[in-house]
Amino acid sequence: MNFHRIFVEPWQSHAAHYWPVFAMALFVTVACALIGNYLVLRRISLIGDAISHSVLPGIAIAFMMTGSRSGAPMFVGALVAGVVATVIIEVLHSRSRLKQDAAIGITFSTFFAVGVILISIHGAHTDLDLDCVLFGKMDFLPGREPVFLGLPGVTVTMAALALCVGLLIIIFYKELLLSSFDPALAASMGINPRLVHYLLMAVLSVVVVGAFTSVGAILVIAMLILPAATSCMLSDRLWVMLILSVLHAFISSLGGVHIAVALQVPTAPASVVAGAGIFAIVWIVSPRQGLISLWLRNRRSDQVAEA
Amino acid sequence: MSNASGDEPALEVHDLTVSYLRRPVLYGVDFAVAQGSLVGIIGPNGAGKSTLIKSIMGLVPVSGGWARVFGGAVKEQITKVGYVPQRESVDWDFPVNVMDVVLMGCYGRIGLIRRTGGEERVRACAALEKVGMLAYADRQISNLSGGQQQRVFIARALAQESEIYLMDEPFAGVDAATEVALITLMKEMRDAGKTLIVVHHDLASAREYFDMLLLLNMRVVAFGETGEVFTGELLQQTYGGRLTVLSEIADKVAKGEG
Amino acid sequence: MIARNINQPLAVFLLLVLVTDVSAARIGEIIENDPWEQARRFFTFSDPGLRIGLSGALLFGATCGLLGSFIVVRKMALIGDAISHAVLPGVAMGFLWSMEKDPMAILAGATVAGLMGSLVVELIKRTTKIKQDAALGIVLASFFAVGLCMIRMIQNNDGASRITGLKSYLFGDVAVLDRQDVVTMTGVVTVTVMLVILLYRPLLIIGFDREFAHSIGLPVRLLDGLFQLFLTFAIVVALQAVGVVLVSALLITPAAAAYLLVNRMHHMLWVAAAIGMLSAVIGVFFSFLGSNLPTGPFMVLGASSVFLVAYLFAPRHGRVTRWFRHRSRRRDVSNENTLKSIYRIIEKGSADNDAGSVVKIESLAGERRVSKVDLFADLRRLRRVGAVEFVDQGGDVMLTEIGIQQARQVVRNHRLWELYLTNEADYASSHVHDDAEKIEHFLSEEKVAEIERQLDYPVVDPHGQPIPGRGEA
Repeated sequence: MNFHRIFVEPWQSHAAHYWPVFAMALFVTVACALIGNYLVLRRISLIGDAISHSVLPGIAIAFMMTGSRSGAPMFVGALVAGVVATVIIEVLHSRSRLKQDAAIGITFSTFFAVGVILISIHGAHTDLDLDCVLFGKMDFLPGREPVFLGLPGVTVTMAALALCVGLLIIIFYKELLLSSFDPALAASMGINPRLVHYLLMAVLSVVVVGAFTSVGAILVIAMLILPAATSCMLSDRLWVMLILSVLHAFISSLGGVHIAVALQVPTAPASVVAGAGIFAIVWIVSPRQGLISLWLRNRRSDQVAEA
Repeated sequence: MSNASGDEPALEVHDLTVSYLRRPVLYGVDFAVAQGSLVGIIGPNGAGKSTLIKSIMGLVPVSGGWARVFGGAVKEQITKVGYVPQRESVDWDFPVNVMDVVLMGCYGRIGLIRRTGGEERVRACAALEKVGMLAYADRQISNLSGGQQQRVFIARALAQESEIYLMDEPFAGVDAATEVALITLMKEMRDAGKTLIVVHHDLASAREYFDMLLLLNMRVVAFGETGEVFTGELLQQTYGGRLTVLSEIADKVAKGEG
Repeated sequence: MIARNINQPLAVFLLLVLVTDVSAARIGEIIENDPWEQARRFFTFSDPGLRIGLSGALLFGATCGLLGSFIVVRKMALIGDAISHAVLPGVAMGFLWSMEKDPMAILAGATVAGLMGSLVVELIKRTTKIKQDAALGIVLASFFAVGLCMIRMIQNNDGASRITGLKSYLFGDVAVLDRQDVVTMTGVVTVTVMLVILLYRPLLIIGFDREFAHSIGLPVRLLDGLFQLFLTFAIVVALQAVGVVLVSALLITPAAAAYLLVNRMHHMLWVAAAIGMLSAVIGVFFSFLGSNLPTGPFMVLGASSVFLVAYLFAPRHGRVTRWFRHRSRRRDVSNENTLKSIYRIIEKGSADNDAGSVVKIESLAGERRVSKVDLFADLRRLRRVGAVEFVDQGGDVMLTEIGIQQARQVVRNHRLWELYLTNEADYASSHVHDDAEKIEHFLSEEKVAEIERQLDYPVVDPHGQPIPGRGEA
């Protein structure tokens, strides 16, 4: 195993083949990364996880009714399931002495269980199976009919979705910033924080549903949080964080495709592994919050104390 | 200095320094409290009152200095020290009743595995009686008012039968009747030779409640008999704007080091 | 004392499991039978594979319930979820190590991975600005992704022959449990139960008030580590039957249901253990009905159903229970208001309000300011308890002796309270009526007596109306 074989050959021989996979991974991770920044800032990261699990029964039911794995019915089904789950979480923890974490855990596991049962009853021979829930279906993209720049339709849709999320964030930048940082002040200035919250949840649901077919139900949370967590160790400014998280998304999807090719594993978990790797590296070497600088500082202050 | 335990200060704090995220919150705190005193710690928000108590208890890491209880490290004298945390620090929906909470005060003495028996129960009942909560022994704690919750916490401390008590804001958010009952109880405890160190937020009542006051604002501004330190100038120093320089330096240390 | 009680059933249980036939057919292999036939087979326990599956389900159901209780009250629900996902690479490592489904190797690998997961969460929280929720998400998904990649690599190398064994770790399949698994489980469960019993009080106090636990010198860190270790054990033990993805639900949901049902921690432990076992058995039953159905999701649905029942019908906190209580309270108030209205009409009309006075429905509806339909609902209920009687085919009503007593009491409460507010609380007499309208239904006998004493047994309210005496005394 030399450098050339590991790092160069895959790209020479399979570049064209993996272009749609890479593009899809990029668009999914970029869309997730952008919205993920706000989840991390608002400390509601696990709502993203809950929604991504909860959409499963909606998708399964829509799929059983229409028999196809793309298009509007599935999207609507997923959205409805996601919204119902968020409402149930809210009701459970505001109307009983149950705490939010338990409410989230109970709700999404129930929804997910229903989804898994529906899929297993329906049979494993169809297009939607448990592998899809775990790994996503990104690796089957090269077989699809290309419509634009060698990319199949779903990828183009995802690209449009990522672009929309980006535009929304640019347009509502200061409203989102203010209502995430200080909801009370935002409300006093005429920005309804509940409205912002539910809009954010709606956009999140759309992104999660869009990502579902590519990365499955369980790995979405990584795409949402890893970029934001990495970039918040490098910067304190929100707009810098947003840019850095897009960069993280880019590198992790590139690395993901590479790992997938090199190890013959599905691209979705491979991208998460790549993203986690970047996070780990940044965690260690980050100039201000990294483990190394922390250790150096501790040592220095010990020396000062001794002196 | 004699070795008789009666002369040993109940609590001695020497050059205690605490930093949070490399930002100092307490500077070189020095004081010693004689046995049988009722001491109030007062100071503005963010002065480090709770931090001081927690660092004495070893609940937050200290970056320098030490605290001793009856001449020994707090860890070794743990059964002699009772700690009453802020009421908000626990989840009052927790599935326990009043008696369970008070019995927790006896756990420190009976060790890890042994169970509580009749003797502990008697002690817990006596403690509840003293704070006027015996009738509520079987109540689920979520049904208590703020004042009742605080009474239960004090009862738990009584059940510990410690020599010195560190109390974090025991009067915050309690009704007037409870406040009177608790301060009366604390004075009784002092008269019985216990030492009490109480974080307090209300300047007006501090003067009549405590024998001694510790004015704190990131460092000890003054410590002594209430009559001596409860002066306009010292209070101005504690609450006034003079310490902005200190916190500015603290900011600089936090940033400059990094 | 509970320790003694628990060891015996466990020993009997172990014996039962060990005598079952090893070479028995696996549950999943029975395909052709229809659901009814399968249900019959389930309840006769004739299938040895089923017996093993059920024993396993009972064992890990109980463990999950016990440890889950601490998780729920400590608000660690999502930590359980993170650890359960984080064990996946450990499972794959254990599999690689032994190259077959060796429960001990997998248990060891999964435990190490789970503990590493919680360690990394702790480390991220302590060294960076990242908050708990994001730290959990990072560990959960990253470890899970590594596990998925490793599983796929194993599958690539080994072909399909061993896939079934690994796949059950993701969504759960009770049918793959064998006797050795159940023996391992029994060991883990016994130790867990012992731990919970011996360390119940320290764990309770850490859960309720961590700082206080520190302050009385409990080894909090050590106990936390021990708890995490056993939590990981419990997750790993349930892993094959429930699956990585859903095992956290079996920790959270039964315990949350118990949390709604009872008020004391030690009750909660046993109730949660019972619900955990029930959910596990429900899961085995339903997955037994069809072929190739994953067990985990059915167990989760079983637990969720129990939770739903608890949420709706719990004796004190249940939604439906509370609604009924609320409704009966509302009805009592409405009844009392009607009685009061009758009394006042009689009071206005004649000086002597003896039991014979008859009141017209129309005038009553006017006084009471409600529709006749609502009024009749009240009156029918009042007749049932013998407080009023209908006269003249229901056109008029009159109070019985009981009714008069009740009406007097309400009016008395009302006027006493008005007087109390004006005299003692300095309310203007024009402002006290509305408050008294509410308070009159909630004053206890003792309170009334106390107010009476304070006001020196008054006879007239602020508006000059007489305050009826207690009974005729």
